Amino acid sequence: MSDLLLQVVQGLSLGAVYAGLALALVLVHRFTGIVNFAQGELAMLSTYVAWQLLDAGMPFWAALPVTLAVSVAGGMLVERLVIRRVEGGGELTLVAVTVGLLIFVNAAAGLVWSFAVRSFPNPFPAALGFGSAQSGFSALGVLGVVAVVMLALYVLFRHTGAGLIMRAVVADPVSARLAGIRVGRVLGLGWGLAAGVGAVAGVLVAPLLFLEPNMMGGVLVYALAAAVLGAFRDPVVTVAAGLGLGVAETLAGTYVGFVGADLKVAVPLLVIVAVLLLPRRAAETAPER
Amino acid sequence: MNIAERTGRRRLAVGWEAGDRRQVWPWPRLTLAVLAVAACAVPFLLNPYRVFQLTMVLVYGVALLGLNLVVGQSGQISLGHGAFLALGAYVPAVATGPLGLPHPVALPLSALLAFGLGLALGLPALRLRGVYLAVVTLAIAVVVPPVIKRFGAVTGGSMGLSVSAPSAPSWSGLADDQWLYLLVLAVAAVAFAAVRNLLGSRAGRALAAIRENPEAAEVLGVRIAAHRTLVFAWSAMYAGVAGTLYAWVVGFVSPDSFTVTLSIVLLAAAVVGGPDSPAGPLLGAIFMTFVPAAAQGAGDAVPGLVSGLVIILVVCAAPAGLAGLLRMAAGAVARRLGRE
Amino acid sequence: MSAVRRRSAAFPDGGPQGGNDPSAGGGPAGPPFLRVSGLRAGYGPARVLNGIELVVGEGEMVAVLGPNGAGKTTLLRALSGMVRGRGSVRLRGTEILGKAPEEVARLGVTHVPEGRGTFAPLTVEENLRIGAHLRRRSHVAEDMRRVLAYFPLLQAHLRQPAGSLSGGEQQMLAVGRALMAQPRLLLLDEPSRGLAPVTTRRLFDVLRAVNLHDGVTVIVVEQNAQLALEFASRALVMETGRLALAGEAGRLGPGRRVASAYLGPRR
Repeated sequence: MSDLLLQVVQGLSLGAVYAGLALALVLVHRFTGIVNFAQGELAMLSTYVAWQLLDAGMPFWAALPVTLAVSVAGGMLVERLVIRRVEGGGELTLVAVTVGLLIFVNAAAGLVWSFAVRSFPNPFPAALGFGSAQSGFSALGVLGVVAVVMLALYVLFRHTGAGLIMRAVVADPVSARLAGIRVGRVLGLGWGLAAGVGAVAGVLVAPLLFLEPNMMGGVLVYALAAAVLGAFRDPVVTVAAGLGLGVAETLAGTYVGFVGADLKVAVPLLVIVAVLLLPRRAAETAPER
Repeated sequence: MNIAERTGRRRLAVGWEAGDRRQVWPWPRLTLAVLAVAACAVPFLLNPYRVFQLTMVLVYGVALLGLNLVVGQSGQISLGHGAFLALGAYVPAVATGPLGLPHPVALPLSALLAFGLGLALGLPALRLRGVYLAVVTLAIAVVVPPVIKRFGAVTGGSMGLSVSAPSAPSWSGLADDQWLYLLVLAVAAVAFAAVRNLLGSRAGRALAAIRENPEAAEVLGVRIAAHRTLVFAWSAMYAGVAGTLYAWVVGFVSPDSFTVTLSIVLLAAAVVGGPDSPAGPLLGAIFMTFVPAAAQGAGDAVPGLVSGLVIILVVCAAPAGLAGLLRMAAGAVARRLGRE
Repeated sequence: MSAVRRRSAAFPDGGPQGGNDPSAGGGPAGPPFLRVSGLRAGYGPARVLNGIELVVGEGEMVAVLGPNGAGKTTLLRALSGMVRGRGSVRLRGTEILGKAPEEVARLGVTHVPEGRGTFAPLTVEENLRIGAHLRRRSHVAEDMRRVLAYFPLLQAHLRQPAGSLSGGEQQMLAVGRALMAQPRLLLLDEPSRGLAPVTTRRLFDVLRAVNLHDGVTVIVVEQNAQLALEFASRALVMETGRLALAGEAGRLGPGRRVASAYLGPRR
């Protein structure tokens, strides 16, 4: 595999992880109108759950569904215990509560699993283990898993009764309540779904980075950038933006000397600012009040 | 339901400037005077560690005064004020170190630079509503440490730089830390007075109007864009000044002092203290300084655990922040006293 | 009730029908279908409903008339749980006041609010399916046929987003969605607003059919008094948060002095 191609594939796999977390952000925002700054930390928590299961000797592809189930339940629990109390509050309230959640979850993970850095096994086969070929494989694996998640979400929302009810709630919660839909439960389910999608992102990114309570900080910024590009609304644009950011970051870090390894993280900032400042987009991205 | 919620949570247009402060608490001047005397007496009564802690409270208090301008007065959300703090902290580190400028220059210089940066960032930030500004400023906060590391030739990279603080003049007979405390106290007092002045002015009323109802304010001829930009710049200036004070007090700056966590904690402290209240910055700064210090003994993770929990509880149970609780308590005491 | 009497004294013509006889509704045995007593409600400090007394029998079609700001919309909102109130609202003896809107809806009360009955991004078919989400899946296809027979215009737009329909079609969809839920009590808030007269008439024809054939009890708030009085079996007139007048639709008919006092001069 040529060097450039490998870089692009790796960028795509990193981008797929960003896209996954960004998708979780979009889900939460569409359901509850909240930008969940704690989404990355919830994903980190899920990753620790997966690690714990693997550590107990469970095979990876068995641990993944268990992790997902735990994450969904966790997301619903967070919505129920914390978010429901502030729903309909001002933007500052909502930002503050998710920020508080971020700090709390981060510290809780540190308390349980310590701040030590751990390695996380790579779930994809290393059978053809020649350095670059293997990383190419795992990159394709990451892309594949994210694609499966997106497909599952699409089917859920477009072709199931539960998905129809969710879309109705997103479209108009008041009318949904008048139609007898228990909106509170649906919103909880939305948080649960988002936590599940975020968990996939966390489990996939953990082998690329390392497992530690602060691992998702950078990923969150990329995911936020991707979600901003999709105006926190459009899942397709969001995923495309996530992939693009992954590639842009990898290429800029490798080929643009000034950027180097240190300034890679500035890429999403520039993207966010550029997008938000284009006049046409600014109008679109203004959150509806 | 929404209307009731709004009027219940948010204070209406004129807020505490309407004078309801006096109805609630009958002796504001006396209280302020007692506080001032107590504040001046601190360095002579407490041990150096406590003095250091209280100095930090004042430093964060100045930063939060600035942040409250954006959060409480302008109704915008910044998760990136750590960046201005970093700028302000590196000014004395570079200016009085390698460049050899005298200490007194550092403060106005960092105020000026932070104001400029705030203006530069505030201009685009105007376009952003609510949570989008939060996202952009968060990204800025994340970029700060890598940028500092990238320009290591000036900033000392991840090793950081040590900073020399202005030392006590010999005529005063004070120890350096006592002198520094009084210096910070003086700056904080001036900053507080300046904010009060700003809010009492025409611009302050315009801000209140913008926060409560931007559309109506615009119709009334308030130039929203100009006001928001200026407030952001003012706010950045306060954070820059706080950064310089921070560098003096701690004596050392490094990228790790200005991670995204600092910005996040600043916003959290503003909310916990009460973004809409004159006592908010002080209470927020106390939260920022003492909660981690008190919880530190229990382990690495406990301060974060406690802080996070406090933030969530305050937002859920006391949306007006600790200052709101204090106001309620003060009202109860005043009524009690008034009746007897 | 005292308010009603006061009104009656001011307008002698309205005397006899001013009473709101509980026996007008409800079967001979058991609690009445809907009994509202002492209902007070409002928004924050603003009180809108000041003690509503009302009994509606099963299978009735009741029109609520009155000037703007009288509290008609708020009455419906209080009945469906969208606005909190005090007093009592009993549906077949079950207290529904204080229940969340979704729980009230699950008891068979479907509220079509003014101008907000549809989910704009969802297709017409999806809107109708949402209406039936509480019911067994096997009945849904049949109900859909029935509703589309009422509103044949919708048939052509099944795959279009509801937001792309015209105002009249959206209103029909809103009513159709409500019917999919097979409600026992249907609350409609100004279904004729913004509709062409022909469309309005068509809508009321359907409402009457639903009322007569399916036995659905209907309470409809309506600005067009003439139309409402023509279709409804009984009319209530609201003023400043109270029922000022109630009676059989025929006796409240336009042309009477009392009616014109509340409904404005005849057009």
